[in-house]
Amino acid sequence: MDYQYSPEETKLQQDTAAFCAREIAPRAALLDTCPPERACALMRENLKALGGAGILKHGFTGEGLDMVGHCIAGEEIAKACPATFMSARASAFLCAGAIRLFGTDDQKDRWLAPLLDGEAVGALAYSEEQAGTDMGAVATSAVRVGDTWLLNGTKGIVVNAPIADVILVLAYTDREAGKEGGMSLFLVEKGAEGLALGRGVETLGLRGLPASSLTLDGCVASGLLGDVQGQGFGQAGRLLSLGTVGIAALCVGIGTACMELSTNHARTRTAFGKRIGMYQDVGFKLADMFAYNDLGRVMALRAAWAMDTGEPGAEVLGACAKLFASEGVTKIANWGMQVFAGHGYLAGSGIEKLFRDAKFGEICEGTSEMQRQLIAKADLDRFAPVR
Amino acid sequence: MDFSLTQEQKMFRDTVYRYGRDEIAPLCEEADLRGEFSFEIWQRLASFGLLGLPFPEELGGSGADILTCCLAGEALGHGGVDGGSVLAWGAHTYLCAHNIYDFGTDEQKRKYVPGLAKGDLIGCMGLTEPGSGSDAASMRTTAVRKGGSYVLNGSKTFITNAPVADIFVVFANVDHAKKHEGITAFIIEKGTPGLSTGKPFHKLGCRCSATSEVFLEDCEVPEENVLGGEGKGWFIALNGVEWDRCTLLSPLLGAAMYNLDLCARYANERQQFGRPIRAFQAVQHRIADLRVFIEACRLSVYRVASAKDKGQMLNPLSAAVSKVYAGDKGFEMASEAVQIFGGYGFMHEYPVERNFRDAKLAAIGGGTSDIMRMIVSRIMMM
Repeated sequence: MDYQYSPEETKLQQDTAAFCAREIAPRAALLDTCPPERACALMRENLKALGGAGILKHGFTGEGLDMVGHCIAGEEIAKACPATFMSARASAFLCAGAIRLFGTDDQKDRWLAPLLDGEAVGALAYSEEQAGTDMGAVATSAVRVGDTWLLNGTKGIVVNAPIADVILVLAYTDREAGKEGGMSLFLVEKGAEGLALGRGVETLGLRGLPASSLTLDGCVASGLLGDVQGQGFGQAGRLLSLGTVGIAALCVGIGTACMELSTNHARTRTAFGKRIGMYQDVGFKLADMFAYNDLGRVMALRAAWAMDTGEPGAEVLGACAKLFASEGVTKIANWGMQVFAGHGYLAGSGIEKLFRDAKFGEICEGTSEMQRQLIAKADLDRFAPVR
Repeated sequence: MDFSLTQEQKMFRDTVYRYGRDEIAPLCEEADLRGEFSFEIWQRLASFGLLGLPFPEELGGSGADILTCCLAGEALGHGGVDGGSVLAWGAHTYLCAHNIYDFGTDEQKRKYVPGLAKGDLIGCMGLTEPGSGSDAASMRTTAVRKGGSYVLNGSKTFITNAPVADIFVVFANVDHAKKHEGITAFIIEKGTPGLSTGKPFHKLGCRCSATSEVFLEDCEVPEENVLGGEGKGWFIALNGVEWDRCTLLSPLLGAAMYNLDLCARYANERQQFGRPIRAFQAVQHRIADLRVFIEACRLSVYRVASAKDKGQMLNPLSAAVSKVYAGDKGFEMASEAVQIFGGYGFMHEYPVERNFRDAKLAAIGGGTSDIMRMIVSRIMMM
C-alpha cells in the first residue's frame, strides 16, 4: 500500500498542470463566452495542443487503459478548463478508448494515432430523447444493405459532434435479440451521407463544449466497431462504467479551482479589520472544501486503481467516486460562492463560471440517483435470500 | 499509487472480524446497557493478543505495523464490538502503552510495556482538564520539582479507562511561564498517594468504556517516571493526535460496516406493502450513502496509517480531513441506519441504536471536528 504518487505519477501531474496553466487555462473564460463557431475552433486547437504535448495519450498506455493516469492528467485539464477536459475525454477516452478496447486492427491503425495526437476528434453517441441511463430504450436502428450498414434515428446531446471526424453510434441491429445481444456500435465519419447535425445546445455550464444532436437518415456507417455484431450494449456500458472515474476527476479539478480562488479571496479580502478567512464562518467553509475535494481525489484514484488491477467491485467503487466527487463539487462551488458573496455572483468572477460548471457531474453519464441504485444493489444482494 | 492489502493483512482482518463477532460482540449488549467496563471483554481482547499489537515480541507484543492495528480496529467494529470496548482498547494500547513505548527509557519500557501488552495492566492517558479541551496548552495541572521527584497538583477529566487503570500517563506543566514548552508527561502507577479517580461518568455512548476524572493532590512522582524528558509533553501529546486519526478512528469505520451489513440484511427481510423494503428507493439510497461513507472513511484512515508506516511526511491537512469528514458524516450515517430500522432502530435490542450513540464521539474525542476545521483553515490561510 502506498497513497503517494510514484515518481512517474508525480511527473505526469506536474507536467500536465504546467502545460494546462500555460496553454489551456488562459482561454477558458473566452470559451465560456464566445459564439459557438469560435468555441468549436478554439476547442479543436485545445485538443491539438493537448495531443501535441502527449497528454491525450495518458489513460492509454500499452494494450489497456490506464485509469489512474487518466484521473491524474484529467484533474489538471479540468482544473484549467472543465469544458476542454470533457471534449478531450469524449475524443480520447470514450471514442478512442472504445476503438482501443473493441476495434479491429484496421480501425485502430486508422483512428488511434490521430485521435490521441489531437489531429482528429472523436465522439460517442449513445443517448437519445428517451434513452439515457436506460440505454436499452435506444430507438436508432441499423440495417445491412449489401456490405453497408445504414443507420436511422436521432441522437440526443452528443459531446464533440460539431467538431468530430468520427462518431461511434449505438444502434439496434436486432431488436428481437434485446439490448444484450441486439445492439452494436458503428463508426460514422464526418460528412457521411445521411448524417445531419442539429443545432448546437446552449447550456448552464461547460459552455464552449461543442455538443449537438445528430440526425441519422439512412446514414452510411463506415463500419461496425470490431468484428462481432450484438456487443454494443456491453461495450458502451463498459466505457461508461470506466468513465465514472473520469467524471470524478472532472469534479475534483473544478473543486480545486474553486478552492484556490476562494482561498485567495479569503486571504486578501478584509472585513471589520480582519481577513475574512480568519472568521470561522469563512475559514470552516475553506476546510470543508478542502476535505471534500481531497477525499474526492483519493476516491477517484482508488477506483481507478481497482479498474487498472482488475479488482472485483471496481465498478461499484467507480460509482462511489463519481457520486462522492460530483456531490462534493456542487457543495464546494456553493461554499466558494458564499466566500465571494456579491463579488462572486458577477459574471467574470471566476467562481460564477465554476458554480455553473460544477453541476454537470451530478447529472451526466448516470445521475447520482442511478449511481446510488447501482451501489445499493451490490450491498443488498449480499444478503438477498437464496431462492 | 498502490491501494493493495497483502494476503496476510486480509487474513488477519478476517480472523479478528470473526473473533470479534463470535467471542466479544455477544457480551456487548448487556455491558452497554449496564454502562460498565467489562473485564470479561477485556480478557478476551487480551487473550487474542489485541492489546499488544504494535509492540515488539520481546516486550510481549506482536510487532504489527500501524495499518495492521487499524485493520484490527476496523475488524472489531465490523464484528459488532461496541464503540466503548474499542475505545478502551485504543486508549490503552495507543495513548498509554504506545506513548511509553515511543518515548520511554529502556527501563520504563521493560517495566510497563509487557504488562500492558498482555492486558494484565490497564492503561490510560490524562491530557484534558475541566478547563482545557482543544486548548490543551492552557492546562493548569502543575508539577513542581522536589528533590528527586515531582509533586503534581490538578485534575483531569474525560479520561478513558481511568476508573480501571493501573498505569496513568499524565500531562502537567512544570513552568507555566514557558507555556506549552513546560508541559511534561509522567507515568503514574495506581496506588501512588495523591492519585485518585472520580466516579465513572454516565455517557451517551461508548458506554462499555469507563471514563472519569483523575485527581492529583500533592501526588509525588519519582523523576525516573518522567516520560520523554522535561518539557517534551507537548510533542508527545501532538504525536498521539496522529494515532487518533487512524487507529482510534478505525473502529468507526468498522462500526459503519457493521451498520451496513445490519441494514442490508434487514432491508431484505422486512416486508411492507407486500414487498421487502429494499424495493423502495429511499431505503436503497441510504444503503448507497452508507457504502460511500465507508469507502471514503476507509481511505482517509488507511492513508494516515500508511504514511506513518512508511515514515512519509504526513500532510497535516490530510490527517485532519479524516476527522472533518468521518467525525461528522459518521454520525449522520449512523442516524440513517436507525432510520432504515424505523421503530426497531430506536430500541436497545437493535445494535443500530447503540452504533448511533457511539458514533457521536468521533466528532468530539481527540479533537472536535470544529478544531480540525480550524487547523485546516489556518493552514490554508498561511
